[in-house]
Amino acid sequence: MGTLAAGFRLQLRFYRSYPDLLVPLLTAPLYGVVFTLVMRDGHRPDLVGSASLAPFYMSLWWFALFSGGWIIQTDRWEGTLEHLVSAPAAFAAVVLGRISATLLPAGFAFTETWVFARYVLDAPVTIRHWTVFLASFTVTLFAMAATALLMAALFVLARNAVTFSNSASFPFYVLGGILVPVAVLPGWLQPFTRPVFLSWSADLLRAAVAPGPVPHPALGLGAIAVLGVAAGLAGGVVLSHILRRLRTRGELAIT
Amino acid sequence: MPVSTTPRPALRGPGPSEHPGDPAQATLESLGRSVGAPAPGTAPAVEVTDLVREFTRRRKSPARALNGLTLSVPEGEVHGLLGPNGAGKTTLVRILSTVLLPTAGRAAVCGHDVVREDRAVRRLVGVVFGGDRGLYTRLTARENLEFWGALQKVPARLLRARSSELLDRLGLAEVADRRVEGYSRGMRQRLHLARGLVGEARVLFLDEPTMGMDPVAAREFRTLIGELRGEGRTIVLATHDMAEAQALCDRVSFVRDGEVVATRSPHALTDLAAGVEFDDLDDAALALLTDLPGVTEVTVGQGTTRVRTDSEEALSSVLATAVGQGATRMRTLQPTLEDVYVQLIGDRGLKV
Repeated sequence: MGTLAAGFRLQLRFYRSYPDLLVPLLTAPLYGVVFTLVMRDGHRPDLVGSASLAPFYMSLWWFALFSGGWIIQTDRWEGTLEHLVSAPAAFAAVVLGRISATLLPAGFAFTETWVFARYVLDAPVTIRHWTVFLASFTVTLFAMAATALLMAALFVLARNAVTFSNSASFPFYVLGGILVPVAVLPGWLQPFTRPVFLSWSADLLRAAVAPGPVPHPALGLGAIAVLGVAAGLAGGVVLSHILRRLRTRGELAIT
Repeated sequence: MPVSTTPRPALRGPGPSEHPGDPAQATLESLGRSVGAPAPGTAPAVEVTDLVREFTRRRKSPARALNGLTLSVPEGEVHGLLGPNGAGKTTLVRILSTVLLPTAGRAAVCGHDVVREDRAVRRLVGVVFGGDRGLYTRLTARENLEFWGALQKVPARLLRARSSELLDRLGLAEVADRRVEGYSRGMRQRLHLARGLVGEARVLFLDEPTMGMDPVAAREFRTLIGELRGEGRTIVLATHDMAEAQALCDRVSFVRDGEVVATRSPHALTDLAAGVEFDDLDDAALALLTDLPGVTEVTVGQGTTRVRTDSEEALSSVLATAVGQGATRMRTLQPTLEDVYVQLIGDRGLKV
């Protein structure tokens, strides 16, 4: 627990020292304005609510990709990874603690996005199904943390991780049904959206603010949880593999 | 760099394992007990046998950094590793601190294998790699130290006080709440040291610990090492600084091309470069001395002849022979560790 807390505190201190890591909190309202105006101008009032909340998922993904995903690789560049690995504390616990801290700004991003959508953009985002909303929000944050762990490990292995992370934003916004519901996407694309936990999360959030019953909430929650567990397990396996590989090759530090 | 006023133990006093009643031993008893480590004194602090480490290179044969290195360091000893760049010192320290896996051979810390029991080893060791990197530069020294202390499993109730004490001990108290990015190289090096000490490690690996320090700070560092030895810790010190090694180490090992070529006390090592300088040696005497066993080097200068030997016995033989040949004006040379270094490692110039 002490190691998790130390990692958590470290990440919060990084947010204080590197405010640029929190840039999605600045851009979220701006994206909200753009997406809402596009839907209103396109005479799609049915999509205004989901479009106004889309910046939350964009922020969430951004934190997973850039804040969580680069944790290990940055430590390699800084020469701190050797010290982390040679410490008695479990390295995975440090990483998990730091990734957990990324959930805080992600949670704040939702509050910011919702308040802006509700009171500035006057979008129909009143939460009507609190249980579904809270459950989906919780498992979504868990899945995001697990995905960040997987990416943090993969980015060490991938030679072109920078290119991937820089270009992986909008494709996932589309596949995650963030801007428009998955049902609106072309038929051939829809199967690719299901392995992306964001697509289930976005569906549930839309349903939680819509009138009428929520269709198949257990299925959606289960899918997010399963995808999160799978990402977490894969992240653990890859993390263990890369540590062994870096120790074998003498590549814990990048000089 | 102010240091504590604790009386400094004799520099080359016997190790604490040889003195069960020594208060230092009591301190040692408290170190590393919680991890199932062998009782102090029952296993060497460091035991390395035929250690090999190769690094693969693209389109080239592997580079062999360690070539069957063997070394044993008893508990409580300050042991120096001396050698040129690329000799394998840092590779050895990295393997012993579990951040690098050996290609072959065995290495153990306090009886724990560094590969199979790496978690146990990590609870016993503190590491100072040195250099500018390895710190979170946008955090303050105190924040850095508290983070690394938590990773060393220092109880939360002790961590803040211990961090403050170490920062004070290493002369960083006044800048403890400033970001590390504004620190000089020497200040960063002190923070590296503080990190290595925050976990109360039983075995400390210090790789070029005074690199970047000014002479006064380096002198205080030596005092600190003496105090740490007084507390019963084992210290393995990789350094280029001969004066540092001579002043601090109970024994030093010369490392060349991934192997240990000699391990002795600094005093015994200097015997390896013992010598005498003559003012009036004729050619006949010179020829005789050159052929004597144990003579390693004869240098003829302007009016003087320097003869180096590899032992005190050889030196006595040289003196007797020279006197027998009529030599009357001579003086013994006081070899330094640097002389031994050059003799054992060779003058490689700027080659690595």
